[in-house]
Amino acid sequence: MPALILDNISKTFWTGVYGFQKQKKIIENINLKVFENEVFGLIGLNGAGKTTTIKIILGLLKPTTGHCTILNGSVENRQIRNQIGYLPEAPYFSRQHSGRELLNFFGSLYELTGKKLRNRVDEILDVVQMRHAASEKIFTYSKGMLQRIGIGQALIAHPKLLICDEPMSGLDPVGYKEMRDIFLELKHRGTTVFLNTHDLNEVERICDRIGIIYKGRLLKTEEMSHVLGSTHLLKYWIELDQMDFEQIQNWPVPWIKNQDGIQIEGDQLPEALNRLASQKIYPKSIRPLSSTLEAFFLKAIQDFNEAKDHEKHF
Amino acid sequence: MKSIFKIAKFTYRELIRNHIAIVWVIFAIAIAALDYLLSMLSYGYQKQVFIDLGLGGIEFAGVLTLLLSLAVTYVTEFDQRAIYLQIVKPLTKGEYLLGRILGFIGINWTIVLGMSFLIAGILWFYGASVNIMYWEAVIGLLLEMIILNVVGLTFQMIGTSMAGVVLYTLFTIILGHLLANLKWLLHKHISSFMKIILNIFYYIFPNLEIFNIKDRMYLPHHVLSLVQWESILLYTFTYSFFAFLVGWIAFEKREFK
Repeated sequence: MPALILDNISKTFWTGVYGFQKQKKIIENINLKVFENEVFGLIGLNGAGKTTTIKIILGLLKPTTGHCTILNGSVENRQIRNQIGYLPEAPYFSRQHSGRELLNFFGSLYELTGKKLRNRVDEILDVVQMRHAASEKIFTYSKGMLQRIGIGQALIAHPKLLICDEPMSGLDPVGYKEMRDIFLELKHRGTTVFLNTHDLNEVERICDRIGIIYKGRLLKTEEMSHVLGSTHLLKYWIELDQMDFEQIQNWPVPWIKNQDGIQIEGDQLPEALNRLASQKIYPKSIRPLSSTLEAFFLKAIQDFNEAKDHEKHF
Repeated sequence: MKSIFKIAKFTYRELIRNHIAIVWVIFAIAIAALDYLLSMLSYGYQKQVFIDLGLGGIEFAGVLTLLLSLAVTYVTEFDQRAIYLQIVKPLTKGEYLLGRILGFIGINWTIVLGMSFLIAGILWFYGASVNIMYWEAVIGLLLEMIILNVVGLTFQMIGTSMAGVVLYTLFTIILGHLLANLKWLLHKHISSFMKIILNIFYYIFPNLEIFNIKDRMYLPHHVLSLVQWESILLYTFTYSFFAFLVGWIAFEKREFK
C-alpha cells in the first residue's frame, strides 16, 4: 500500500520583474509511489529538484500542477501530520535552547505531555546518543550533534513516514556511521523512510528502492536489488605486471591500456579474463571503478541526455 | 489550542535568551537615570518632567524591543529556516502565528511593565508617587503594543527581507502617530486624488494617537471614562483581529523556497 503518492507533480517559479518574468521549471511531471515499510532514496545531482519535491510533499511549497497524497490523506490534515517526521538539510534550531528543551518543545507539538513526553525524550536522547549533552545549549553543538537532535525531533512521535533531506550532509565518518545505524534500525522496525541525497554509498546501504531525478524529471525508479545486480554497467580496472602489460600492448582489443593495466566494460570482463588466461597472464588485481549504483545512476543520465539529443536532431 | 501557548512560551523564552530583555533592562536603567537628571534641571516640575520623559522612554523601549525581536526572529525563522521544523508539525499556520504574536506581546509587556514599575519605584523612593493617570497611560501603551506586535508579525509573514519587515513596521508606527494630522489635512482644500490616497492611509494604518494617554494627562477631566476605555479596547482588538487575518492569509499563501 502506498504511503506516498506523487501524481503528475510540477513546480514552476517565476523570476524577474513583473511584466518581464521568466518561468523556471524546477520539477516536471513527477509520478512516484513510495510503499509502506520501504526505504526510498531519491537521488540526483545538486539542483535536480530533490528538495523542491520534499517541500511539496510537506506542504511548504504548493505544486503548480498535480496532487500529492500522503498516508492516504492530505498533508494539511493535522492527523496526517501527526504521523510524519521531517529532518531538513542542515537543520537550524533556536540557539538559546538546550537539546532536551527542543525535544520537549517538538514533542509537545505532537501532543505528548507529562511523563509520556519526558520518557520519550529520554528514549530519543539515547537513540541519537545525545544524553550526555542534552542540557547544553544548541550553540555549543557540533554539526553532527545538531544533525542528531534533528533526527531526534523527527522521530519523537514514532512517525509512520520519515522524510529526510540530505541526512548525511557534512557528517564526519563517525557521525555518518551512527546516522546510518539509526536508519538501518528504522528500516528494521518497518518505518517508511523517504530520503533525498546525492550520497550514493548511503543509498546503496540503506534503501530498498531508488528514484533518479535529473533536471527536474524523475528518470527511473528501481528496486535496489536489481540495481546491485546490474554489474554489466560497471567498468573494471585490471592491474597487470609490467612484463605482461608489454605483452598485450599490440593486441587489437577495445580495451583502454595504460602503464600498469587495462580498463574494460563490465560485459567484456569474462572474455578479457579468458583471453589473458589463455596467454598465461594473471592479473595482480581486478577492481570495479565505480559502485553499481553510481554506474546505474550515470547510465540513466546518459540515456536521458542521448534521448534529448536525439529529439533535437530529429 | 494548546499549540498556541506552546509556541508562545517557546517564542518568549527564545527572545528572553537572545538577551533582548537584558539589553532593555540596561536601556531602562539608562533612560530612568537620564530622566532623573533632566527632571532635576526642571525646577518646580521635577515630578511632571520625570513622568513625561519616563512614559516616552517606555514607549521608545517597547517599539525598539519589537523591532529588534522582529529582526532577530526573521533571521532565525525565515533566513535560517528554523520555521520549517515548526510548521510541518501538527498545527495550523494560524495557531503558529497567534502563538508568535502572544510570545512577542509577552516580551513587550515585560519590558513596558518592568520600566513602568521602575519609574514608579524611583518616584516612590524620592517620596513622590504616581497617580491613576500614570497607570492609565501605561495601559494605553500596553494596548498600543498589542496592535504594533500584530502589525509587525503580519509584515513578517508578508515581507521577504529582515530590513523590509523592520522598515515597514517603523513606517507604520510613525504614520500611526501622525494620523491625527492626516485627518486635519483631509479637511483642507486638496485634490480629490490626494483625498482618496490620504483616506486609504487613514483607514488602513492604525491610529496610534488614541493610545497616547500620556499627552492628555494634564488636561481637565483627564481620567478616561468607561465608555472611552470600551472604545479603545474595541479598536485595539478589532484592528488586531483584522491585521492578524491579513497575516494569516499571507502566511497560508507564502511559499518556502
